[in-house]
Amino acid sequence: MSTAKQALLLVSDQEFLQHHTGRDHPESPQRLQAVIERLETSSAPGNPLADSLRIIPARAAGREELLTVHDENYLLRFEETALSGRSYLDHPDNQMSYDSYRIALLAAGAGLAAIDRLEEGGQSAALALVRPPGHHAERAAALGFCFLNNAAVAARYWQQRHQRQRIMIIDWDAHHGNGIQAAFEEDPDVFYLSIHEHPTWSFPGTGWSEERGSGPGRGATLNLPLRPGSGDEQVMRLINEKVNPALAMFAPEALIIGAGFDGHRDDDMSGLAYSSEIYRHLGRCAAAWAAQFCPGRLLSLLEGGYQPELLALCVENYLDGLLKRGSDL
Amino acid sequence: MNIKQYMSAPVLTISPEMTIPDARELLRARDFRHLPVVDENGQLLGIVTDRDLRSAYPSTVLCDERSQARLAALKKTPVSEIMSRETYTLPVEATIDDALLILDRQKVGALPVVDENGAVLGMFSIRDLIRAYRGLFGLGERGSAMLAIEDDGRPRPLSRLCAALEAADIHFTRLLKAKQKTDDEHFIIYLRVTTYNLSAVRKILAAAGFFEKTDH
Repeated sequence: MSTAKQALLLVSDQEFLQHHTGRDHPESPQRLQAVIERLETSSAPGNPLADSLRIIPARAAGREELLTVHDENYLLRFEETALSGRSYLDHPDNQMSYDSYRIALLAAGAGLAAIDRLEEGGQSAALALVRPPGHHAERAAALGFCFLNNAAVAARYWQQRHQRQRIMIIDWDAHHGNGIQAAFEEDPDVFYLSIHEHPTWSFPGTGWSEERGSGPGRGATLNLPLRPGSGDEQVMRLINEKVNPALAMFAPEALIIGAGFDGHRDDDMSGLAYSSEIYRHLGRCAAAWAAQFCPGRLLSLLEGGYQPELLALCVENYLDGLLKRGSDL
Repeated sequence: MNIKQYMSAPVLTISPEMTIPDARELLRARDFRHLPVVDENGQLLGIVTDRDLRSAYPSTVLCDERSQARLAALKKTPVSEIMSRETYTLPVEATIDDALLILDRQKVGALPVVDENGAVLGMFSIRDLIRAYRGLFGLGERGSAMLAIEDDGRPRPLSRLCAALEAADIHFTRLLKAKQKTDDEHFIIYLRVTTYNLSAVRKILAAAGFFEKTDH
């Protein structure tokens, strides 16, 4: 395991293209289509990711697994909205189609399938290429293109199915993951850390640095907002000064990455100005963190990233970083 | 915009005869900073603050003997001897703007709210003011984002803006046009939209001739 080229587990499923969001919606099936096509090429023999990806299909999350995070009436309401053919849930942002409930169950279950495989051993990390994304979804509300909170469901599953109590979720999507924060606000065993565009200028208007969790969960939430225009340098400084100490203090038994790629300077869904190289760096960091605290228990879940070709490039860089662990930390 | 919905009420009041240690204990127990002092009819006589009470106690640099003597005297001293009698009040029909101006001008932390007969109905503090303006401005409302837009100087900017947003079914909850202090002739329009799709909002604004101000 030490010198051989390690394979990454990739949860990838054509089914995710069946969640339709209508014309001109940023969270489109084309996003994932572009990623799948790019990875097909780059993992072909002779290319950079050849022999590095082990692809598995998603599975649907079960009712009990979802109820650890979501309200039962909300699930019924979501399903009914899909089956009745209505075009959105809770807000016109959250466009959906007949298959969206079924596909959202797969998005929430993709991480669970990956966790089971990671727990069997032999894999260093997993990335679940899912849509719809999840980090804005609340217990009983859809928000910001998200319906089910994929990361929160995965964290609870890791605890309950595999007895990994201390879970750290590091979310570097350009937007604050209000839904994840809310799910674990009072929970000292799940640490939520988010790097995002400052809430004064950005959706969803939450994620202030003074929000640190409450009750027994006080201190197990860390929000690191960045001013619009912030780039790679600011991210790397936060990693050194804030993220690394938080990891060392919390010492997670499993690590979940909320991997959103919309902080790129050419993605107009945020005012952040990252380069595509930051994602390679973030991949290396994540691999190094897992190697230090929780070897083989690193799960990344796709969140945002709205320019299909750019998203594909950034995901590839991230995977490349995950594979070359720890060289530049 | 009325203070009535934001003030703390009912409010704890004390009589002028209450002793200083009793008043201090009450403030400590309730985590208050201000105690209105009222007569038997509920009429405001003055205000005692935690600072007034702390100042009444002997300094720690005094020798033990003098300190003890001072403490013994304090036990019998009524709050009427240290309360501020020149107290500004807010009528219950005052607006949060009235409150802001008086709190700012008088440099106090809280004001008693009184009815037309001068009876104390509640207290309105700087914290209450912050809460009120936070609510008005929509700060921290989940699912929203604030944009600062440059006024293009052409006629009827707000009508044009609203028409463009409504035509595109973009929901918004706040719209405020304000002069920017650094540039007298310049107006900024603050807009709180409730959508994730800021990219679409910017395109609609640009098509209507508006641009986001990025260095606000």
